[in-house]
Amino acid sequence: MERVLDIGERLQKLLEDAEREAERNVAEAQKRADEMISRAKEEAETRRHRAQRGDGIEDLTRGEEEKAKEEAAKILDGYRVKAEAIKKVSSARLEEALKLVLREVLPR
Amino acid sequence: MKAASIDLEARLIERTVDQRNEVIARAEERARRILQVAEAECERIRAESDEQILNIVGSELRAIRDRIVGKAEIEGRKMLMLARERALSDVFEEAEKSLKEIAEWRDERVNYGEVLTKMLVEAISAMGGDEFIVSANERDLSYLKKQIGEIKDRMKEFDNVSILLDEKPIEAIGGVIVRNRDGTKTYHNTLEGRLLKARSRIEAEVARILGVI
Repeated sequence: MERVLDIGERLQKLLEDAEREAERNVAEAQKRADEMISRAKEEAETRRHRAQRGDGIEDLTRGEEEKAKEEAAKILDGYRVKAEAIKKVSSARLEEALKLVLREVLPR
Repeated sequence: MKAASIDLEARLIERTVDQRNEVIARAEERARRILQVAEAECERIRAESDEQILNIVGSELRAIRDRIVGKAEIEGRKMLMLARERALSDVFEEAEKSLKEIAEWRDERVNYGEVLTKMLVEAISAMGGDEFIVSANERDLSYLKKQIGEIKDRMKEFDNVSILLDEKPIEAIGGVIVRNRDGTKTYHNTLEGRLLKARSRIEAEVARILGVI
């Protein structure tokens, strides 16, 4: 009987230790979480201040430049296609235009 | 030790270990969720910060975009404009070649003598008066000399018109430059002059025919 009681106490301690360990783990996680959030806030604040000074926005400007260059390339491609189409005027249209010009130039 | 007691002990241990594992697992889950929520919060803070920074530097970023995209728009429009210009110039250059052929009497479909006569009559009618000095290129001058009588006949409606041909030839594809006697009025009725005027008048129409508008 004594032995069972002894084991019971030890098991109870084991459970109490586990509870403590669990609380410690949760507390550590909470601490890490608080630190993460606090760090994120600090970084955000720092970035905001730097941005207000026009500092540290190289990534943003570089990103915007890249985006704009891609957009510009698409725009130029569009115009290139239109310009190519203009160069391929059919001979029938050329002939009609030429007739109009000669009709206008030569006296009637 | 009795077997029943050992069994009880074993079950007690087993149950306690299970409880312990459960406590630890629950705590791990809570910790994991806390970190997950924190990570999401950090993400939100970063996104909010990005948004604020974008607002702060928005005008600068817009300027970057406008500069690059605007330049491309200008280049593109210029490219298009040059292509249109080229297409139009091709037509007018081709027209000039045709006019040269006509003026050199190489185009059998056109009676250039009639064309030249009409240009002369048109100039004289437009100017008014009775004495005119007519300049033309060598070839046209030679034609006009031969046909001057006939041309004057066609101008009977104008009273006492005197036409003097300037012996000094001009540089022109064809056509005439007519001056009045005292040189106060000049009427340019050359083919290149007419082509130039026609271009400014009908360029839009030509562009429409070519389909380049």
